[in-house]
Amino acid sequence: MFRWLNGPGAVFRHPLPGSTNYLNAYDRDGRLIRAIDRSLGKKEQKMEEDEDEIDEDEEVDEDGEIIPKIKQKSKKPRIKETKDEPPLPKENAEDLVPFPMNRQFRSQHVLSEELKDAIYEMVMVDGKSVRNVSATLGVEMNRVGAVVRLKAVEKEWEKKGNPIAFSYAKAILGMLPSTPYVPNDPITHESINDLPVHRATQIQIFHPVSESRHFTRRDAGKVFDRELKPAEDRVPHTELVQLQKWRHEGKLPKERIQLQREKDAKDAQSKKVLERMRKEKAAREIKKVETERSEFRFQDIRIESVRLTGRNKEGVGARYGIPPQDRKKGQVKIPTSVG
Amino acid sequence: MRKRFHGLKRIKLRQSWNKYNLFNFSRVEPSPKNTERTFFQQKWTAKALTRAYHGETVREKQWTRTFRRTIRSVVPMDYKMLAEKDGSEQAEGRGSGLEPPPDQKTKPFPRTPYLNMTYAPMERRLDTAIFRALFASSTRQARQFVVHGYVRVNGQKMIYPGYQLNPGDMFQVEPDRVLYATGAPKDKFERRAGRKIRAKYSKKASTSEAPDETEPRTPKSDPSPESISTDKTPKGTLQSLLGQAKELLATPSTSLTAKRKQDLRAFQRTVKRTLGSPKAMTATSLDSQLAEIVARMNVAPQTRPASPSSSTTEVPELSTPELQAEAATLDSTQLRTLRDALKDARENPVDPSKPYATPWRPREWMSAFAFVPRYLEVHPRVCAAVYLRHPVARPGLAEVPTPYGTETNTLAHNWYLRRR
Repeated sequence: MFRWLNGPGAVFRHPLPGSTNYLNAYDRDGRLIRAIDRSLGKKEQKMEEDEDEIDEDEEVDEDGEIIPKIKQKSKKPRIKETKDEPPLPKENAEDLVPFPMNRQFRSQHVLSEELKDAIYEMVMVDGKSVRNVSATLGVEMNRVGAVVRLKAVEKEWEKKGNPIAFSYAKAILGMLPSTPYVPNDPITHESINDLPVHRATQIQIFHPVSESRHFTRRDAGKVFDRELKPAEDRVPHTELVQLQKWRHEGKLPKERIQLQREKDAKDAQSKKVLERMRKEKAAREIKKVETERSEFRFQDIRIESVRLTGRNKEGVGARYGIPPQDRKKGQVKIPTSVG
Repeated sequence: MRKRFHGLKRIKLRQSWNKYNLFNFSRVEPSPKNTERTFFQQKWTAKALTRAYHGETVREKQWTRTFRRTIRSVVPMDYKMLAEKDGSEQAEGRGSGLEPPPDQKTKPFPRTPYLNMTYAPMERRLDTAIFRALFASSTRQARQFVVHGYVRVNGQKMIYPGYQLNPGDMFQVEPDRVLYATGAPKDKFERRAGRKIRAKYSKKASTSEAPDETEPRTPKSDPSPESISTDKTPKGTLQSLLGQAKELLATPSTSLTAKRKQDLRAFQRTVKRTLGSPKAMTATSLDSQLAEIVARMNVAPQTRPASPSSSTTEVPELSTPELQAEAATLDSTQLRTLRDALKDARENPVDPSKPYATPWRPREWMSAFAFVPRYLEVHPRVCAAVYLRHPVARPGLAEVPTPYGTETNTLAHNWYLRRR
């Protein structure tokens, strides 16, 4: 073991400056594969292969083996300068595999500090919507929300004077692949329109239709499940689809913006109406009787609301009549949700 | 704890950054030899191997109850395609879409590695998530942090390592613990320095009986630079910084590079020079003091290559003529080193009372294990992370970090389908 650790494995002792340092990037003798390739004179070829690595959707063939992608658009030179050596080429998809046996798992890019700052600025200072920021920067909506939350924690710590782990953060970001922030031409960090696979669509159905019928995505969804909506209504960014539809119809940019505004206003209006209806319904269900001393509120209850065990929190008497079981054997005390 | 956690004879891969574990990762065979073995035997081995990595602290019965045969997956959609086509083109021709001409054939869509997601429910556990967020060097250590009360979920203390994170949960680990877990350990001399400090404080506490005379400084609540800056004058803080630099140079640690030593010496010199001019001590806190120095440094490199007239315009911005003269004596590279050294010394101070080697540096063998899966959003500066969603499989990619390939994972998944 120590022969390996002091021999070929010694490269893993310290991080490779300005790059990731995973097992799969080295051969059996502990030599960096992409450095060897370059020294063999494949430099130009390799550069092309490495070029478009930052995007999320790398090409993978049927068995999950990674195919190097062909250059799509020229970006900034992605060569890393080291101090005394010639620059090291950027790592390709193979170099980002931390477990050599599992090619289907890759170390994916994380957000760089500049990109996080930009997200926080856009949301909190410029007041842009999360949806908008997500679409412009190519970052998932829940990730945008999380970044804003985490950045807010950092600002609070700064204000309080809590020590912030700068050196740790710098070291960690140096070991991970990260998406840089290019203000005018943002690099897509991840795919933002992920369609979750619905449970109902995981079966095969033989459904004959007549040849003359115009059988669309919407119809196919209904075959699987009556309630199942088509993909364009189920992806996170439905507004991108709508905008593209208008563009396809030949609407001018001005018209599209106008239509988008109208649609937003309509959505907001319908949301308000729904909220009002909910409140009205709640008011109708509770009967109030005013007396001298207090106001009595009567509400119809359903006996089934206690559910099968008779202990549901929604049920009648959940706070009064049900004895606690926390001292019984085999009760799990771990909370299921916090905060 | 078992006797051989990182065994060298029968290889068990573990969730840890140990060097023995790295050695095992480097030499483990791609697939066990499954010829002449019954299906049951193959499944048993696969289960044993994968369970040694995924949640070995979780009892088997508990895991079999948590296991779910349903696997989450997503398909990335192209919004342009969704807008322009309604899906009917897939039924054209003889019913399965038109055959494209041979030169325009698209690449086959990569398969979704569903069965690599067998242990997805394990990734929901709090201790595993802490390890995945690079806040602990192993899941066992993460578990210990949770049990010892260093972890908060959504701002509340959480002491259960088995807590199942919900999408949107934010977990935070005490930064000092994270630095301890991920930092290099102290060497012999640093440990000794730490012991000395502890002895000094304990002696002080025993001799001075008056409780409210001084703030009780236990070795754990260490004198961080912030606490120094609050109770001392700026001159004092600068002197302590200088002392730290000296101490760092004096330690015989081999990790100090020549470059860093040079930086520190340059830093020492400048601090001395600043201390020499009494009028410079107008600033009220360490930060403003440092800001002043940095501002001075920012001014100087601009004036130096430019004409002397511009340097005369800069004079009123500096507080005293002595400072101006002082800035003029330094050249731009010196100033840069001074700025870097000051920043570094402030962010990453030498502090023998810490349980890790200071100034902090990452522990050895860590970089081969460093990755952050996409279902977490980690912010290392505050040692906090958000569990965004459950891990999913997508074409060509499974988000559960497992060292084993599809074959082993499939066999393990089959084991937990209960019909053996």
